[in-house]
Amino acid sequence: MRLRPSILVLAIAVPASLVAGLTLGSADVSASDVVSVLADRLAGRPPADPVNDAIVWSLRLPRVLLAFVVGAGLSVVGVAMQALVRNPLADPYVLGLSSGSTAGAALYFLGVVPLGALPAMSLPAAAFAGGLLTLVLVYAAARDGSSVPVTRLLLAGVAMSALMASLTSFLAFVSPDPNKLRAVLFWLLGSLSGASWTVLPGPAIVLAVVFLALLGLARPLDALLLGEDPARSLGIPVERMKHVLIALAALLTGTLVAYSGAIGFVGLIVPHAVRSLTGVSHLRVLPTAFVGGGLFLVWSDILARGVLPGQDLPVGIVTALAGVPFFLLLLRRNRRPFA
Amino acid sequence: MIRHVVFLVLLVAGCRAEAPVPSRSVTDDLGRTLVLPDRMERIVTLAPSVTELVVAAGAGHLLVAVTDADDFPPEVDSLPRIQALPVNREAVVALAPDLVLASEQVNDPRDADALAELGIATWFVRVDSLSDVPRALRALGDLLGTAETARRTADSLEAIRTRLRSSLPSGRPPTVLVLIDDRTLFSFGAGSYVHEMVALAGGRSITADLETRAPRLSDEFVLTRAPEVIVGSLGDDYRIERLLEHHPTWTLVPAVRDRAVYSVPGDLLLRPGPRLFAGALLLREALGTGPVPGAGSGE
Repeated sequence: MRLRPSILVLAIAVPASLVAGLTLGSADVSASDVVSVLADRLAGRPPADPVNDAIVWSLRLPRVLLAFVVGAGLSVVGVAMQALVRNPLADPYVLGLSSGSTAGAALYFLGVVPLGALPAMSLPAAAFAGGLLTLVLVYAAARDGSSVPVTRLLLAGVAMSALMASLTSFLAFVSPDPNKLRAVLFWLLGSLSGASWTVLPGPAIVLAVVFLALLGLARPLDALLLGEDPARSLGIPVERMKHVLIALAALLTGTLVAYSGAIGFVGLIVPHAVRSLTGVSHLRVLPTAFVGGGLFLVWSDILARGVLPGQDLPVGIVTALAGVPFFLLLLRRNRRPFA
Repeated sequence: MIRHVVFLVLLVAGCRAEAPVPSRSVTDDLGRTLVLPDRMERIVTLAPSVTELVVAAGAGHLLVAVTDADDFPPEVDSLPRIQALPVNREAVVALAPDLVLASEQVNDPRDADALAELGIATWFVRVDSLSDVPRALRALGDLLGTAETARRTADSLEAIRTRLRSSLPSGRPPTVLVLIDDRTLFSFGAGSYVHEMVALAGGRSITADLETRAPRLSDEFVLTRAPEVIVGSLGDDYRIERLLEHHPTWTLVPAVRDRAVYSVPGDLLLRPGPRLFAGALLLREALGTGPVPGAGSGE
C-alpha cells in the first residue's frame, strides 16, 4: 500500500495547517490568544478579547475553511477535467467557466446587469449565471447529435474564454468608475477575503456532493484515461459519463468561482502533483487531490495574508508564484510522462 | 491680380521667416526641458487634476479640449473631449495646441515623446504633497501668462493650510482610516498627500506607515488599528449598514460603533489638485476637531 504514509502525512498536515491559518495573518495574534479564543467559543463563554475573537473566529477560521473548500474543489474538478478531455493542460476553467463568471461579475460590478430581471441579484449569482451561460454555449457549439467530441469541446471552450475575457476587458475599459474597476481586477485575480460563516455552507455542501459523486465514478474515470473506445469496450457509457462530468464540474467550479473569483493554477498543478505521488487510479487520486488542493490553497492564502503588512494580496497571485517552482521541480524529478 | 497674389504670398512667407515667435526654455516637473512660445493660446489637458489646476491658475480660457474623464469645474463641460488613456494622439494633433499639459500620476512620458515628434510639446505636472499644489499653480501661471491670478489662488490655498494648521486642537488626534472603496478596502499608503490632509484636519491617518502606494487593507488590520473615524469616497447617502454588509466584524471598530463614518466626494481625496484643500476642510468638519477660524471657500 503506497497510500499509508501519505495518509499519515495528511493527518498531521491538516490540523497543522489549520492552526497556522488561525495564527498567521496581517494582525498580530499570539498562539495562546488563538487558543483562548477557541476555548471561549467552544465553552460558549463570552470572548475575553472581542477583537481577537473577531479576527480568529469570524475572519480567519471561515477563511481557512473556505480556502480548503475552494482548493479541494478546484483540484478534484481539475482531476475530472483532465480525465474527461485526456489532456494534461486541462483545468477546471478549460470550458470557459472562469472567464464567463468573471464577465458576469464585471457586468454586475459595473451595474450593467439588467437588475429588473433578477431583483435580488447578488455578485455570486451574477458570476454563477455568467459561468453557466458560457458553459451552455460551449456545450451547444461542441455537441454533435448525442455525442460531445472532446476536441470540439476544448476548442469551443478556448474560444468562449477569449470572447468572455474581451467582454470583461471592454467593460473594464469603458467603466467610468475607477473604484469598480479595482474591484473587478481584484476579483479577476481571485481572493478569499469575502469569506464568512454565512458564505461557507453553500460551497461546502456543493463540494461534498460533487466529491462523493466523483468518487462513485472513480472506475469509469480510470477507464476514460485509456481512451473513449477502450472505455466503451469496457462497458462504460462514455457519452453519458461526459455529460455527468461536465454538469458536476460546472456546478462545483461555478459555485467556487462565484465566491472566490478565478483563482488560477490550483486545478491544473495539484492533480498532476498528486498523480506523480499516487499513480493514476482515481480512487487514490481524488481523495489525495481533495486534501492536497485544500492544503495548497490554505497555505497560499496564509502567504497572501502575510506577505505585505496590513494588506491582503489576491491569492491568485500567490498560487502561481508559490506553486510553479514546486511544480517545475516535480516535473523534473518525475520522468514518467504526466497524465 | 497675380501681382497681388505674389505680393501676398511673399508677405506671408516673409512674416514666417522674419518674425520668429518669441520663445523661452522651461523645465517641467519631470525635469524635461521644453522650448515654448512666450504666448500660449491653445492648451489641452490629459488629466482631470491638471484641468482643475489650469482653471485655478486662471488659464481656463486657454483650454481647447479636456479628457473624457473631466467633470470639474462646470465651465469645462462644454469643451471638446479627448480620450486620455491611452492618449488619442490624432485628436490632440487635430486640435493644434500650443502646449499639452499632463499629470505625472496619470500619463505616460512616452506619449509626450510621440507628441513631440509631431511637433507638440507636453508639460508634466507632479503633485505629491499639498504644498505641490500652490507650487504647481504658480508654475502654470508663469507658463500660461496668468501669473497674477495663479499667485492669488496659490496664496489663498496656503492661507487655508496655515489656518488649518494654527487651529489644530491640542490633545491626542483621533485615528482616521481613509478608504477609496468600501468593498475592496483600497487605501492610501506611505508618501500620500492624504495623510497630510488628515493631519491638517486634526486626525492621524492609520495607513501612513504602509509601504505600498495603494494598499489593499485586510479586515484584521482595521480591527487591530481600531480607527476612531472612517472617511472615504463611499458615495452619496452612505449608510453604515452597507459597510457592515461587506465587513460584518467591524461592529467592533470604534468608528463604526460611534457611527463616525463619513462619505466625502471622491474627487476631493483622489484628484491631486486645488480641491484637496476643500477636502481637508471637509475632513476637519467630519472629524469634529473644531472650526477653522475665518475659513473661506475651498474652491
